[in-house]
Amino acid sequence: MVQDVDHGIALQMSAISKSFPGVKALDGVNLTVRKGEVHAIVGENGAGKSTLMKILAGFYHPDRGSIEVMGTPIGVMNPREARDLGIGMIYQELNLVPDLTVAENISLGAMPRRGPFVDYRSLAANAKAVLKELDADIDVGTRVGNLSLSQQQLVEIAKVVSRNPSIVVFDEPTSSLGDKETRILFNVIKRMRESGIAILYISHRLQEVMEIGDRVTVLRDGSNIETRDVAGITPDEMVRLMVGRDLTEMFPKLDLSIGDPVLSVTSLGRAHQFEDITLDVRAGEIVGLAGLVGSGRTEVARAIFGLDPAESGEIRVRGKAVRIRSPREGVSAGIALVPEDRKREGIVPDLPVRENFTLPLIGRITRFFLILAGRERATVQAFADRLNLNPPRIERPMGTFSGGNQQKVVLGKWLLAKPEVLILDEPTRGVDVGAKADIHRIIGEFAESGGAVLMISSELSELLAVCDRIFVLHEGSMVAEIPRQSATEESVMRAATGQVYA
Amino acid sequence: MSLVKSDPNPGPAPAGTLTAGSVLSVLSIPLAIVALMVLGSFVSPSFLTARNLVNILNAYSAVGLAAIGSTFVAVCGGLADLSIPANVAMGALVALGAQTLVGPVAAALLGILVASLGGLVNGVLIGYVRINPIIVTLGSGFLLLGLSQLLVGGGIVYSEPSAFGSFVAGNLLGVPVAVWTFFVVALILHIVLSRTPFGRWNFAVGGNYEASAASAVPVRFTRAAAFVLTGLLSGMCGVLIALSIGQARPIIGAGYEFVAISAVVLGGTSLFGGRGSILRTVGGVIILALISNLIVLIGLPTPSTGLATGTIILLVVAVDAYLRRRTGAE
Repeated sequence: MVQDVDHGIALQMSAISKSFPGVKALDGVNLTVRKGEVHAIVGENGAGKSTLMKILAGFYHPDRGSIEVMGTPIGVMNPREARDLGIGMIYQELNLVPDLTVAENISLGAMPRRGPFVDYRSLAANAKAVLKELDADIDVGTRVGNLSLSQQQLVEIAKVVSRNPSIVVFDEPTSSLGDKETRILFNVIKRMRESGIAILYISHRLQEVMEIGDRVTVLRDGSNIETRDVAGITPDEMVRLMVGRDLTEMFPKLDLSIGDPVLSVTSLGRAHQFEDITLDVRAGEIVGLAGLVGSGRTEVARAIFGLDPAESGEIRVRGKAVRIRSPREGVSAGIALVPEDRKREGIVPDLPVRENFTLPLIGRITRFFLILAGRERATVQAFADRLNLNPPRIERPMGTFSGGNQQKVVLGKWLLAKPEVLILDEPTRGVDVGAKADIHRIIGEFAESGGAVLMISSELSELLAVCDRIFVLHEGSMVAEIPRQSATEESVMRAATGQVYA
Repeated sequence: MSLVKSDPNPGPAPAGTLTAGSVLSVLSIPLAIVALMVLGSFVSPSFLTARNLVNILNAYSAVGLAAIGSTFVAVCGGLADLSIPANVAMGALVALGAQTLVGPVAAALLGILVASLGGLVNGVLIGYVRINPIIVTLGSGFLLLGLSQLLVGGGIVYSEPSAFGSFVAGNLLGVPVAVWTFFVVALILHIVLSRTPFGRWNFAVGGNYEASAASAVPVRFTRAAAFVLTGLLSGMCGVLIALSIGQARPIIGAGYEFVAISAVVLGGTSLFGGRGSILRTVGGVIILALISNLIVLIGLPTPSTGLATGTIILLVVAVDAYLRRRTGAE
């Protein structure tokens, strides 16, 4: 495996710290990447991987710490300067212009010119040379929009490689690829490694890390836990390093009497997203839905609520089969969903808190078609107080509140609609500790009153603390149902990374 | 913007708090109207007579109806309805053309109905098929205008004399029926936009379409309904003009889409959705009416109206954008 290349240090990040309001994202992280190695970075969601990479790409500036690229200390840099320093990024989402050709995309931003005109001959020649280097067989004159996803990714890589980078970051590159395409990608990565490029490889798929990685750094809670040779580590060890921590934030778990099934889902499926999902949630029960990003957990939640309806299978609420093809039908079936992307799907930022609150049921607070303003205000104010809305000003635009308080309103909005089933997708993501406690209290109260809760969270410790049972998804299939007694971070993580099949 | 903000921005002023910005935004339209009237009284002694003021309003009442519809369209994030002139023409031509067949009242209603159907086509394509509103209304506008020209062959349709026709063209308690119509419709639709669930949905859909859909708001219906309403009001506009002047031609509403948009923008309703009010649009209509009258009184050629209106709109929008950015609302 060791090639005849210079094994000097390509990148040295020392004692990097970065805080966002209310969150310490990185705390003294050290990372050393050698030339010509594939260095994997693993960690739970929120461990700080993306923040670290965004610092490397110049999108964020670290609060403390230093960066050296090829032995040269780097000061404050912006994304353009990072690129000029030879740092290339390949994200999950591709940055290509679908209507331009492969060659045009590869040279975008640095078109070869002859006078004022684009020199199409050398444009095509450049593109061919780069693609040949990557051993990729793609016609440079093709419109990128006509290529397959895997081919588009190769074009994206070619675009980065054409700038002769010394460091290339791959952020979850295989999340939308099949097995065959993954093989092709790995071959390209191996070629890049052979030419001496330092590669940072971020993935949730530990098997891939075992296969392609030379060394691996485990991040947890914004700190680097360990850097090891891949040759001397097993996936199980990696999982332990990723999750092995004391529960610093204890979530109170209420012991509730559990009743009859409220939500029963049988063989739910939706093409290319998930298949044959069967689960149930009983009255007073909080059930977790775990899985890695892209495992289909969000899609399952959206299907049950009707946002992206299921194509097959059956949903029953209190034993009665219901047809749910839109959120309106979801609401009338007694289901509510607190969506994952609060900004996009949770709030209307310009409207006051009061109007956000009553959005789903404003039609019911009326007399002769007119909104009963007094009743609306009183109801919302009472609810806002119960939720500890801070500041408790329901006439202020929603967009002026903190993330945690916005989330309380999204949650309160649905509780006001009195659902039987409450589905929560990442209810505490990006939320500070105080608001998190409030949100857990509210969820607990809902369960206590006989409601059924289905909760998605990337934070395993949260699920373990709150849930009575945990269903685990892996690549669109249900792989495990773990009761509270036997659920540990390791057992859930093992199932979620596809190492256990139910 | 980060997702996590422990310290919320002050942002727009909370209700009940008076800041320089909020006072300015509430008073700017009345102030502009007063300023124009003072200016007018200097320019011509006949300006500040009741007769002149009523005439000023009368000239803009019909197009004001289309502006009210455009307010719903803008608030729900539907940008603008460019098919207003076509629906005005359809309303006017049918209202006069069908008089001999069904009588003047039924013909007027039929005109409004036909224009509403034009709005329904827009609404279905924009709300349910989700095509860009500008493209849909541009297309339907050309189509309906072409259809109206086919119907009358480029000629003029004249009104049959009738009691109903004289009533619509005449005065009620000294005020033209057109002006009454404008204010009554404005009042009703102001209540609809500000106090009914449908009105609330318009703001929500324009403010965040995805979040509204995820909150079980009937997003498609809301957008479609805003365009149906604008079609209906354009039809009323056409009927009013046709009966007032006793004739109708396909070009009867030419340029009205821009007058309507101008009134909406001058009133401070965001063309990008989520904010706005009918009362503000009424203010915008009055300001446009005053400007055009001032131009006539000063003795400038009529085409300068466009020049003056355009300048004022650009100024208003620029100042508004500047203030918003400074107060950190955007």
